[in-house]
Amino acid sequence: MGGGGSSDVKNAVWMRALMMAGLILGIAVTSYVGLGVVAAGAKHLTWEDEEHHYDEIKKKWQAEITAGNITSEDESNEFYKAKEEAHHHEIEAHLSYLTYRVAGLAILFVGIIFSAFLVISGVMNSSQADEHHDEHHGHDEHEHHGSASPIIFSFGCLLFLLGFPDFADALHGLMMGSAKGTIGDMSVSMIGLTVVTIGVANWWREDLPFNGYGEQLATSDPFAGQHIRKAGIWVFLMSEVMVFATFFSSYLRMRTEWCTKWAFDKGTCREVDVNGDGTFDVIARHDLHPDYVLTASDYLRPGGAVGTGDFWTMLPGAVNTFALIISSYTIVLALKIAKSHDYKVPTGVFGKLMPTKKAAVRNYLIVTLLLGTMFIVLKLVEWSHLIAEGFTFSGAGETASIFYVATGAHGVHVFAGLLIMLYMIFKADTVEWNEDNAQGVEYFGLYWHFVDLAWVVIFPAFYLY
Amino acid sequence: MGEHKLIMGKDIYFWNFIVLMIFTLFEVGAVFFEEWPGTDTPVSLTAVWAILIVVGIVKGFGIGAFFMHLWDDPRIYLRVALFPTLFVLLMLWGIGLSNPEGVTGLPSWCTPNWDSLVTER
Repeated sequence: MGGGGSSDVKNAVWMRALMMAGLILGIAVTSYVGLGVVAAGAKHLTWEDEEHHYDEIKKKWQAEITAGNITSEDESNEFYKAKEEAHHHEIEAHLSYLTYRVAGLAILFVGIIFSAFLVISGVMNSSQADEHHDEHHGHDEHEHHGSASPIIFSFGCLLFLLGFPDFADALHGLMMGSAKGTIGDMSVSMIGLTVVTIGVANWWREDLPFNGYGEQLATSDPFAGQHIRKAGIWVFLMSEVMVFATFFSSYLRMRTEWCTKWAFDKGTCREVDVNGDGTFDVIARHDLHPDYVLTASDYLRPGGAVGTGDFWTMLPGAVNTFALIISSYTIVLALKIAKSHDYKVPTGVFGKLMPTKKAAVRNYLIVTLLLGTMFIVLKLVEWSHLIAEGFTFSGAGETASIFYVATGAHGVHVFAGLLIMLYMIFKADTVEWNEDNAQGVEYFGLYWHFVDLAWVVIFPAFYLY
Repeated sequence: MGEHKLIMGKDIYFWNFIVLMIFTLFEVGAVFFEEWPGTDTPVSLTAVWAILIVVGIVKGFGIGAFFMHLWDDPRIYLRVALFPTLFVLLMLWGIGLSNPEGVTGLPSWCTPNWDSLVTER
């Protein structure tokens, strides 16, 4: 937007962004220390004990085999059973440690990004001179409110993606301590990120004072009379539909080829000469189960082929599904209250939490942000468990590849939504969303509901089936 | 906007939310049953597909129609939302389902080194 509103945004307002950043960073660091250091440290000790115990039991089992009392194929003796039980406990302890460690790290990572996002936009905008708007100027319905920010932002994305292959290689090399990557290889992407940052900060500066007057209307068919921004967000969402349709159709194509447990049990696995030596086998590329391909749902779903799936392995995905639906509802409530002309303070605890319309909108947005953040954290915890159990690119091949790409792309959309939500909360806390400018919440809500909708397809396809 | 229509004192958003929660509960809960409740009949793959697709359609309708306001908004937005349906169906049919040998059956220029490893019977 072109900043045609009547609200002056003083530099002091922007400084509140720094305060919010400090608060978020404080919460993130505290959570990291609590979960990722203290709790994870205790879990690590347990894991070490279980590992030590497993090694001892395994040695006893091997000693019995060496002594000729049992055979390595015999699974009915007590030594084998004790070894398997100790191994199970060791895996459980490892996964438990990973849960706390990854959750702590994920919260810290997300908190740092959130804080950096707020700090950069706050500092860049507060370093500019205060602007004073003309009241009449702001109320002109026909004034042009075009903005260069989306173009700047898109150009930054283009640069970032152009340099991304070198960026990823260099980052990997630097993290692994190899001489493969240099800082110079990251330059195109870094310039792209800088341009993105400038675009976003400028966008904030333009949109924050916008009070709803001067919303552009389309003048020609098929959107004549409609808000241009709303038409734009719908067209954008439909392009996103195509992105996710690509993932899903790729998955379907691969899935119909794979000899999964479903297909194996049904006897529909097709045999091919994998090695070209005249030996015809079903296509299965996993050490755990040479008979059939293992998908993510085989690890997560009760009754899955791996056999480790139960209530607890399904829990993160299930909780995330509910979290997204609840967050869709909370953002609808934020929009409903922002658009209402007569806000009635609820009774009881809700009344204390939402004493004013401004506080109610802000708090519903905060709840949405917390639910979205939980989604990201739980997803990363779940990924860490899958990787620890061998569901990796090298271990499981394209089953892992399509799972991580599709769910990862969805996670990136959730994360991008969280960054936008931070701005929404900032505006709710300072300028406020009301019946005049609530279309900002509505348009962002459309994006957020789309993210929920994408999960409606991804969750059953990748987690349940 | 759906908040003006009240059903038993609650707006359409609330009831939509309740329906979405119930169907999600049903979707997640169904996974824990390998056999139909009260019988020894195993849940077939077709049944799983049917359940997941029906639940997905209901949830998709609820989110699109009420949370995204397509039910009340001018029809142009519904047309925009439906526009990519044709392309999505084409992709699902043309890429996803029409070639079960997709991974191994693609031409060599499309899958370098793969065709030399796999030979169909």
